[in-house]
Amino acid sequence: MNRKHVALAVMLFAGVVTSVGAQNSAPEIQKAAEEKAVNLCSTCHGPRGISTSAEFPILAAQRKGYLEAQIDAFRKKTRAEKDAHDFMWGIAGNLDEPIIGGIAAYYAAQPPAQGRSDDPVLVGKGKELFDKGLPDRGVPACMACHGADAAGSADFPRLAGQHAKYVVKQLNYIQSLVRAAPVMHGIVKDLTPNEIQAVAAYVQSK
Amino acid sequence: MGRPTGFSSRSVELLLLLLIAGMAGQARAVPSYARQTGQECIACHVSFPELTPYGRYFKLTGYTIGKVAISSEGVNYVPMAVMAQASVTNTRNNNAIDPATGDTVSVNQRNNGFVLCCASLFLAGKVTDYLGGFIQWSYDNLATTADGTLGGHSGADNMDIRAVGKYSAAGAAEPDLIYGFTMHNNPTAQDVWNSTPAFGFPFTTSPLAQTPAAATLIDGGLAQQVVGLGGYAFWQKSLYAEVSFYRTADGAFSFLRAGQDIHTDGGVAALKGYNPYWRFAYSHDWGPNSIMVGTYGMVADRYPSNFDTSTPTDRFRDVAVDAQYQYITDPHTFTAQMTYIDERQSYDASFPETAATGAGIGAGPTPANPTDKLHTFKAKATYYHDRKYGATLGYFSTTGSADSGLYGTDPSGNAMKPDSNGYIFELDYLPIQNVRLMVQYTAYSKFNGASTNYDGNGRNARDNNTAFLNVWVAF
Repeated sequence: MNRKHVALAVMLFAGVVTSVGAQNSAPEIQKAAEEKAVNLCSTCHGPRGISTSAEFPILAAQRKGYLEAQIDAFRKKTRAEKDAHDFMWGIAGNLDEPIIGGIAAYYAAQPPAQGRSDDPVLVGKGKELFDKGLPDRGVPACMACHGADAAGSADFPRLAGQHAKYVVKQLNYIQSLVRAAPVMHGIVKDLTPNEIQAVAAYVQSK
Repeated sequence: MGRPTGFSSRSVELLLLLLIAGMAGQARAVPSYARQTGQECIACHVSFPELTPYGRYFKLTGYTIGKVAISSEGVNYVPMAVMAQASVTNTRNNNAIDPATGDTVSVNQRNNGFVLCCASLFLAGKVTDYLGGFIQWSYDNLATTADGTLGGHSGADNMDIRAVGKYSAAGAAEPDLIYGFTMHNNPTAQDVWNSTPAFGFPFTTSPLAQTPAAATLIDGGLAQQVVGLGGYAFWQKSLYAEVSFYRTADGAFSFLRAGQDIHTDGGVAALKGYNPYWRFAYSHDWGPNSIMVGTYGMVADRYPSNFDTSTPTDRFRDVAVDAQYQYITDPHTFTAQMTYIDERQSYDASFPETAATGAGIGAGPTPANPTDKLHTFKAKATYYHDRKYGATLGYFSTTGSADSGLYGTDPSGNAMKPDSNGYIFELDYLPIQNVRLMVQYTAYSKFNGASTNYDGNGRNARDNNTAFLNVWVAF
């Protein structure tokens, strides 16, 4: 093996010895988590968690506890709709609990996405359902848990500003038990496609 | 195609393969990357090998997302993948006249027959957080041998090894700069947009069909014969710049052209020194849309004969523009790509030799003109539903200078042009993400310079129309 050959072998080995050191302190963990958010999560979820493609949910200003629970569900493969399986199982599987906490904290602290609306009639119907529910059919008001401004509360997720397409998709998954959410399933199981479209349009507009 | 290279080169190849196999993660367009990242193929591919925005990010960051194959946790996955195809090819008119003997011969030696061809082994992926790549080794059991029959042959296919880095200013929301170094063996194989030749449409074609003779140098003319060493930077996910240099893949780089016929004059390209390649692109993503407009090209000084590097060289200057648009949603996906390549061929070595002696240098070209031009335009549009059912319409056109020394003369004695053009229509069905069933039809309006009687023996362009039924699997 001549010198050129050795040089090539060394080049291949070179990266092996370079690895990110362990992060132990809270600031170090948070820094590592934010690097992950900036360098990896942002590729699909957008800068500061505001995705422009409705195929990927907006994470900005989402509840920290909810984000942690969802990433953990991806990691444990208990949230198993197609998109979760295709995209998130692998990503979450490479995260440990401290980093998950740091990522959740990062996105929870970001400014929320602005509301977007292009169908006032549909939004109006959605607001009615969101604020008052459907008492005659035993459907409680969404605002009871998700807040009057749809900003979420405690572990109930923020919905305000979320892509309507994503909300529709998730409600369909929950209705059909593809996504396990027992409480929500009981609430939305009888909603019609039009009602789901309306409430999704409303929360996107907030 | 070639005999094995010398023992010492083989030793280096084996060493490198073992190093990659032992340390690295997974390969590019193949399921080993899915095992590395834990993600499905559709995260990175519209349909393999066409990349999504995330797939481009994955490649630009050196295939380093995900786990290494072997870590302190043990063996995370097997860092290998296999790709294989099985097909039936129908050539519209399979009979042609052999100009040397006047006999009727078969254009396609397995017309309408079921063939297993070809297969690839991939070794590649994440080595560390800063190093990754892929090595593709392919076996072609329908390679044309020296006596014109078909035989088995294996050798290096596309390879790309990268060292990468990222820079973000404090408080940045996304990486400000992604940069890296790449070593590869096919100009544009390192590119992340599917408008450039190496991973452009058609993504696979019949291993048996007759294809047009003329192509620009950057469009496969140097594939698996050179080493490309380059650096690139992608600024704020919008401006991309790359400069690479290509040289003959000999010496320490010979593993990059392993299996090529280096023992036959004309078997491989030989370049003089390091030949520059550039690539600049503007990219913008918004909503489900992604667009890119760019330019790429190279200037290559090529020895007419790979056996004699003491001669002057011919210069090939390729300048190309390209563009890509993608709309990716669930369930509708629409993508389109185009490129136009302008090549100026300056036969500074071959023309004087041919003019003086009537023959080229070794097995090199015998141009009748001191300079020629060659232009290639390619465009395609694809629709996929649910990433399962796809349809693609492509158009291709090559035009160029008339040159009797390169392309012969027509029955009237006029110098012929290299012109070819036609359409490709393709339907795809992916029952699972690793399996593609496809039917592809290529229709020629012009072939090697003419629509009718292009070979002087009555063969027409449409006689080469090709139907290709193919099963393409990767696992």
